[in-house]
Amino acid sequence: MNSIERIPVARELFTWTDDAGTYLIGSRCSGCGAHYFPKSISCRNPRCNAKEVHDVLLGPRGRLFSFTAQGYRPPPLFRMEPWAPYVIGMVELPEGLRVMGMLTGVTGDAVRIGMELELTVEPLYRDAEGREVVTYKFKPVDLGSAP
Amino acid sequence: MRPVYVLGVGAHPWGKFPGKPQLKLAIEALSAALRDAGLAFTDLQAVVAASSRFEGGMGWGLHANELLQAVAETGIPAINVGGGCAAGGIAVHTAVSMIASGKHDIVAAVGAERMPKGFIPRPPGSPDDISDTDYLRWVTMGATNPAYWALEARRRMHDVGTTEEIFAKASVLMHHNAVANPLARYRAECSVAEVLSSPVVADPLRLLEICAVSDGAAVVLLGSLDQARRLGVPLVEVAASAIATGQFGDPSIRIPTVSTIAATGVSHTSEVVGAVRTALEHAGMGPEDVDFVELADNTVWHVLAWPELFGFFEPGQADWMLEHGELAIGGRLPVNPSGGFLSFGEATTAQGVLQICEIVWQLRGQAAGHQVPNAKVGLSAVLGLGANGASIVLKT
Repeated sequence: MNSIERIPVARELFTWTDDAGTYLIGSRCSGCGAHYFPKSISCRNPRCNAKEVHDVLLGPRGRLFSFTAQGYRPPPLFRMEPWAPYVIGMVELPEGLRVMGMLTGVTGDAVRIGMELELTVEPLYRDAEGREVVTYKFKPVDLGSAP
Repeated sequence: MRPVYVLGVGAHPWGKFPGKPQLKLAIEALSAALRDAGLAFTDLQAVVAASSRFEGGMGWGLHANELLQAVAETGIPAINVGGGCAAGGIAVHTAVSMIASGKHDIVAAVGAERMPKGFIPRPPGSPDDISDTDYLRWVTMGATNPAYWALEARRRMHDVGTTEEIFAKASVLMHHNAVANPLARYRAECSVAEVLSSPVVADPLRLLEICAVSDGAAVVLLGSLDQARRLGVPLVEVAASAIATGQFGDPSIRIPTVSTIAATGVSHTSEVVGAVRTALEHAGMGPEDVDFVELADNTVWHVLAWPELFGFFEPGQADWMLEHGELAIGGRLPVNPSGGFLSFGEATTAQGVLQICEIVWQLRGQAAGHQVPNAKVGLSAVLGLGANGASIVLKT
């Protein structure tokens, strides 16, 4: 159990534990309350003069706003082994953000705009040291399980 | 501010020209524009160039300087403007402002581009961390540019009921418009069945519904009324030009970012909508005064969605307009009589200048085979990386 180490595909982008679930790491401006993902260097709201952003966890749930299927292999900067077609979703988070990410646990035909999703992590590939490199994804909320 | 007129236009055909450097494309387009105006290199008082991301410019985006050093070392001012794929529109806007101010009487706006094969590479030196969203969108989810447009297209299908057939019909129309345009790269008619049977690139968008990348170059010569009269060229006036950037709360997720803050009351694609609205306001016009538009149709979604975003139609109404021939040449609002990006392929920074050339040919009645009847007012709209938008209104 847990013998394979997992590392995120990009640092300071998302965080996860088996117990607490998966969250995106973003920013919140304490002046105007705007949220950003990924972490922001400042606050883009032109009417905000505070510009005080600090790290905040976003998620874990949202609703699907739109989606597309990636049917051919993207250029090599994207590593996924073995490669297989997948769905990219645009997901509305309660914080007022729309965020893009891969979908998992749902096939193309069953994807519905408006469906409730929650964050998870899944491996993309194994690096040279044998570690699993994971990215964040959105999966359908299992209504049967405890929140 | 004084009125500004188009003295001449010229363009190199769009396509792939592996044996011809981008600088050569630019020189040919500039020479064609000078011939069109009846001007010589020594008549030019300034050159504004859209800075290419991909070739030349001495590696620093100095395309106007490079052009002058290659073809006419007259000592005139050279201005280089960035703006991603909207740089051509920004170059025209800058040249217009230079004439309007009274500082210069004859200024060239230049856009020339040779596109790399395949996916557009990240700029050299970009960091491999969360500070570079271009890096993030690739490593976390492999989001290609068409994937961004597909998300918009899918949402449109959900919101207003656009069908895959209607999207296909928009592609058919763009390709039909280009058949008689000698500058276009793709000049064959295509059918709805052919579009629908072309490979899916990013569901629901197919290969024939997404623009390719091309090489091309275009030049617009702008000047004062005195110069236009002296040269005896057909009088095409710049009714207004405007550039804009994105607004906070714009619901569109811009390439290459991976999120947005969607606020109510803020327009989608606000950088372009902002430029169009400002241009129309400065021209003292409304959508009803515009006879045709040349817009950046990276996909069929843009053909339908953009006229609605600009206020020409209600949301969803463009589908009906397309189905009833109202977006075709001869219809209520012809969209891209040139054939658009779908028929030309996108030569990024040159595209915003080419749009102006096409509008000028239409207003002069020189668009043989794809002429909009009684064209008096044309509007351009172009979008670029960095949330740049540009829009220019010409009238005759």
